[in-house]
Amino acid sequence: MPYKVQPGVVGTAIRPAIAGNARSLEEIIYETGQAALADAGLTIDDIDGIVVGANDQFDGRAISVMMASGPTGGVDRDILSTPSAGEHAFTMGALRVASGHYRTQLVMAWSPTEASSLSEAQRLGADPYYHRALPLDELSAHALQAGAIEAKVPGARQAALAVAAKNRAHAAIACPGSAHPAGIARWPLSAEMTSAPVSGCVALILANANFIAERGLKNTAWVRGMGWATEASFLGDRALADAPALRAAAEQAYAEAAITAPAAQFDVVEITDATPYAELLAYDALSLCAPQDWSTHLSDGSFARGGRMPVNLSGGVLANNPVFCTGLIRIAEIANQVRGKAGAHQHPDARLGLAHAGSGFAMQYQAAIVLGAEQGARA
Amino acid sequence: MELMSRQETWNITYTHALGETASYFYVQLRDNAKIFGRRCAKSGKVLVPPRAFSDETLQPTTEWVEVGPGGKIEAFTMVYEQFNNLPPPPYAFGYVLLDGADTAIGGYFKGVDLADPAKAAEKLAIGTRVMTKFAEKRTGDVLDFWFELA
Amino acid sequence: MNIISSRDRVGIIGIGQSEFRARRDDASYPDLVREAVVLAMADAKLDFDAIEGVVYSLSPDAMVGIGNAERLGVDAVGGRSKRFLRINTGGATGISSVTAAYYHIASGACDVVLTAGADKVGECGDSQTVLNKIWDPTYERQLPLGTINMLAMSAVRYMKMYGMTEEDMARVTVKNRKQAALNPRAHLRKIVSIDDVMSSRIISWPLKLLDCCPQSSGGAAMVLASEQYIHDNKLDAVWITGLATVAETYWMGDRMGADPTAEHADAHALARSFQRSYKMAGITDPAKQVHVAELYAPFSNTEYHSIDAAALCKKGESIAMMRNGEFELGGRIPVNTSGGTLCTNAIAVTAMARVAETALQVWGRAGAHQVNGAKLGIASGNGGDHQIFGTMVLEA
Repeated sequence: MPYKVQPGVVGTAIRPAIAGNARSLEEIIYETGQAALADAGLTIDDIDGIVVGANDQFDGRAISVMMASGPTGGVDRDILSTPSAGEHAFTMGALRVASGHYRTQLVMAWSPTEASSLSEAQRLGADPYYHRALPLDELSAHALQAGAIEAKVPGARQAALAVAAKNRAHAAIACPGSAHPAGIARWPLSAEMTSAPVSGCVALILANANFIAERGLKNTAWVRGMGWATEASFLGDRALADAPALRAAAEQAYAEAAITAPAAQFDVVEITDATPYAELLAYDALSLCAPQDWSTHLSDGSFARGGRMPVNLSGGVLANNPVFCTGLIRIAEIANQVRGKAGAHQHPDARLGLAHAGSGFAMQYQAAIVLGAEQGARA
Repeated sequence: MELMSRQETWNITYTHALGETASYFYVQLRDNAKIFGRRCAKSGKVLVPPRAFSDETLQPTTEWVEVGPGGKIEAFTMVYEQFNNLPPPPYAFGYVLLDGADTAIGGYFKGVDLADPAKAAEKLAIGTRVMTKFAEKRTGDVLDFWFELA
Repeated sequence: MNIISSRDRVGIIGIGQSEFRARRDDASYPDLVREAVVLAMADAKLDFDAIEGVVYSLSPDAMVGIGNAERLGVDAVGGRSKRFLRINTGGATGISSVTAAYYHIASGACDVVLTAGADKVGECGDSQTVLNKIWDPTYERQLPLGTINMLAMSAVRYMKMYGMTEEDMARVTVKNRKQAALNPRAHLRKIVSIDDVMSSRIISWPLKLLDCCPQSSGGAAMVLASEQYIHDNKLDAVWITGLATVAETYWMGDRMGADPTAEHADAHALARSFQRSYKMAGITDPAKQVHVAELYAPFSNTEYHSIDAAALCKKGESIAMMRNGEFELGGRIPVNTSGGTLCTNAIAVTAMARVAETALQVWGRAGAHQVNGAKLGIASGNGGDHQIFGTMVLEA
């Protein structure tokens, strides 16, 4: 691991589905940040810096960090914003902690549903030069990717249905009684393959090894490796049935974490299943399972609760879809697993976990984070 | 060579939840023509407009405090330029520290002759006493009130 | 915060800036980014293969008219399959992006990082309309707030507290235009007199047209590298020896009243940010140690509280010093010799240009607006409603 000082996650707060309108967005951010601090046993005075990830168009604010700086504790504090993705707030925060200049960072992402149409808000991401006139929102982009995968991999549709069934079964344990409103159909995606967007918020506390030792903090999810990368700009330039950016991100993370046999080394995995096809593609790009083996691994229970390497014990995005937060939530979920704080869906022996975060049109941004209960060997 | 261009407009409507604190403020404004602030117990400051927590202490605010209707000008400006989707000039607005408040609230200044900027600036000088005026028909919006020289 | 050891420094090895203009009808937004990137890569004498990470500098999407527009810039920065993220801290975005790039390297994760961006403010229907939307919809969106009238109100308070006059404000525009005339990359380069400024039309009292920044289009890019990489490859570089970002309260009304923590006339969080940067760089007497400053000041009056906040003098003393010419090229501490934000404001990269110009100064490469012998400079960027402040110390 190349970092000057190793970072670790010492606290989390996940609000994956916030119903009603009793709270303003700023109040939700405040409460979630405070909850993460409480989980870490820290106060805001222990926080040296903040990084937030939010989407201006979802929030209805031209600079989302502006209003958020108060509720997160940003007054008289160092705050940055990565509106590209919530998971980028994590990588940025981890880099700051790893430099040794910061003892801690509070990292947050949120995703409201106050826009009249999230689809319209997403469509604004299509360039005005060639693509704005098309109905190109994130669902359409995911559908195009799903179609490409079906065309390339025989049996992909059956495997996708199996992924959805697995995650639904996991959700029944992780968040029983949750609504999981069905999404919209967009060929080849059926309505049951996705969940309708909900409001959510997530916060993590990162600390460096010196601070953790000084304070005697227990239950750390150590960052063993991080990788993040982006695909090309135009969907048409991309081979949608593959995820080169995720391969690159995984390569970075695995090199840092000294992972040589990903399919065998992780105890538990969380994947941003924006659709079940996205989860399948991630199996391949993360070197967890090649396409020809998808169906076997799904039918023999390898990736299910109780299996060799459960994927999405949280129920994934199918369980709760607070769109912009979904990537950072996967990282928080794995942190919780490794810290022994995952509650009803806790894996019995999570020593090493992998979190995959993906966002944007057909998973344009990809990240892979390896978290472990031990610090591991320093590279 | 011919250079082309395309026009695009962004058109999204947002329904922002105001939360309990701001909702109370607006209900009091609409129904009773009163302005309320909220006190942070740790600093003792009465924050106007009210919020559920203080961004300075990060503590929840604890009690409602009625403020105004008198106050004094803390900052002002007079706008003489037309901007798209903003009101036609000239108009004056700024911030007023209402009696009983520790922070200032924004609002329009009405009833001041803005034809001569220097004279208007003297009339609106920092420290000038003002009175809050309320619209007859109020909807629960900051435009339900404005300030006039006392 | 630990003070960095001199063997672990992060340096700047390449800089690229457009010639900023009102409109660039000949180039799409990604083209403008590419333009600056090509200049920076050529300056660093590197191929794209050498870049290990990219930080994309982009403030409000609405200004460019494309949601998450950084996605469109991926190819312009050579970002496919590379580490890539975007920063937005409003007007401070450019300096926050350099800061983010710094930490990619200071963490140990990367040796060479590119940061880049562009803006086409001149193409946006109306920047003040977009900037009205930065205020919260709960209490303040209904008021006609914009960055111009927000800082007009700061001027009103600064006038009362420190005796600044409208002529003092005009003096800043005159100084910066005179300096911009020497900078081929600046947007507004026409020399103006105090009378010209005083007789320009009032936008938001006391700010007149010539007290305000233009809406500029163009791009900027920088390449940063670790000291080890610079040493191993025998590269020329200047060094970032101090940096910090501090925010103050979003609520402008909280910066008023009897005893506010952050006074709206001043730039409180900017002062706090400089304090941290100075501490990291080991600067104990900025007024004596700083040779040159590029301070983000989109309106003439704001240059004063920025100078105060940089501790180049006591609060309010900048007025008398400006009258004495101490901040001009040739003066004691030249400020904004590039013309500054007042002469060029492509919002997404304006604060990066402050870092770039300071770097060029301590590098001895600033051309006609070079400050002789400059070896230590400071840069700042402001974002949000005068709320988030990034600062940097750069040394030869």
